[in-house]
Amino acid sequence: MGGGTNLGAVRGLGSAKHGAEHWIKQRTSAIANLGLMVWFIVSLIRLPAYDFGTVGQWLASPLAAIPLAMLILSVCTHFRIGLQVLIEDYVHDDGLKFASLFGLTVYTYGVGATALFALAKIAFSGMPQ
Amino acid sequence: MSDAPAETMAKPHKRPLSPHITIWKWGPHMAVSIAHRASGVALATLGIIGLTLWLLAIANGRETYFFLQSWLQPWYGKAVMIIASWAFFQHLLSGIRHFVLDVGAGYELKSNKRGSIGVFVGAIILTAALWGYFIYGRG
Repeated sequence: MGGGTNLGAVRGLGSAKHGAEHWIKQRTSAIANLGLMVWFIVSLIRLPAYDFGTVGQWLASPLAAIPLAMLILSVCTHFRIGLQVLIEDYVHDDGLKFASLFGLTVYTYGVGATALFALAKIAFSGMPQ
Repeated sequence: MSDAPAETMAKPHKRPLSPHITIWKWGPHMAVSIAHRASGVALATLGIIGLTLWLLAIANGRETYFFLQSWLQPWYGKAVMIIASWAFFQHLLSGIRHFVLDVGAGYELKSNKRGSIGVFVGAIILTAALWGYFIYGRG
């Protein structure tokens, strides 16, 4: 070491001030998951029945659809960070790691978009017929 | 270190090594950590895909929802849902334990052990309570 400029010494070591971003996001999404999942389970328990009409009507109301949309987003945020940590811990080959992280991104957006689409369809079509 | 013969690396029992996964004495704190990752993976795959299929079935209409129900009503369907809810409660309580550890509490040997065992016991109790209610409370 030595000889180089200050900038040269830190170049390539990653950006500063964002090191804790994932760590904090993992925990804020965990708090959101905690509250929304408790709401979801309590709501399911309180449903009088689980037939198509009852469940469809409940999901079509904004009071169910909006928190459930938030739950889907929060859960996807949380599991994306969690699985990323797992990949970084266990996949050591650089190419395979890159591919795994890319695959994780595709999976997260794919599942999230599908769940949100299905929920939106139920909510906007005013189920059940 | 660099000029040590390669074979010393292959015979770890001859030299003291820092503790690793094969050397540590197993404890509940290790089990709860592994269970947190395993249940997290289960929820990120089985859990979210199950929720998505449930929403898709309802969005698709009455017949699809009946079809999904015909897979969920028998014992194997219930078993999958019970395992998924157990994974959820395990991850939930383990996550709350992580919040406690994050503020720097619960690292003393006894309280750490108690907390780890409490996560396992709590997850089983919550799963049993939920399904006891679904199966016996509602019939």
